[in-house]
Amino acid sequence: MILPLTAKEMEYIVDSMSNEDLLMKQCAVTAATANNGSLRQICSQMQQVHEQHYQALMSALSYHQSMAPTQPQS
Amino acid sequence: MYQSHNQSLMPEQDMAYTVLADLKRVSREYAIAATESTCPDIRQLFTSLLNSTLRLQGDLFQTMQQLKMYTPSSPALKQEIDKQLRQHEQTFQKTKQFLQQTNGNVQQFSNLAGQHQMQQASMQQPNNPYYM
Repeated sequence: MILPLTAKEMEYIVDSMSNEDLLMKQCAVTAATANNGSLRQICSQMQQVHEQHYQALMSALSYHQSMAPTQPQS
Repeated sequence: MYQSHNQSLMPEQDMAYTVLADLKRVSREYAIAATESTCPDIRQLFTSLLNSTLRLQGDLFQTMQQLKMYTPSSPALKQEIDKQLRQHEQTFQKTKQFLQQTNGNVQQFSNLAGQHQMQQASMQQPNNPYYM
């Protein structure tokens, strides 16, 4: 059985999305500006993984959207 | 004269270090999020994101170490390790004694609980095994 998302879990999910968003940008800038080839390569790979992380968090949030209550619970 | 097309506001070493520091922070946040999750699927999500982030942090760390961008802390001295080993050996011995004593008490308590009618006999044990 899938339980509804708690308010705390939602906060952690959206905080994590902000973190992943920042990391994506940091990796993109480093990949675009670094002189060292291996650093450029690892940053561009990491950027893709952070995109996947962001998508996974987004999916979890939208999956739980349908079963969320519309009124505050006691 | 322009240096190259690669112009950054920060040296690449600092950029890499910033990403590494954020990966360390995000790993901790995923660990906390996993331990505070109620839904099993959300806990599972945070756990897999934690593992993935740890892998990224480890890979970046290794790359930076190979590029001499990161200086690991100096090795621990042998005499310091010896001292710590001796101290913790003693602590562990004391803990073992405590555990034996506690387990002995638990066992005695459950024996007592099972033998209501033989109360006196079980309370006057001449030898307490947990003091040995």
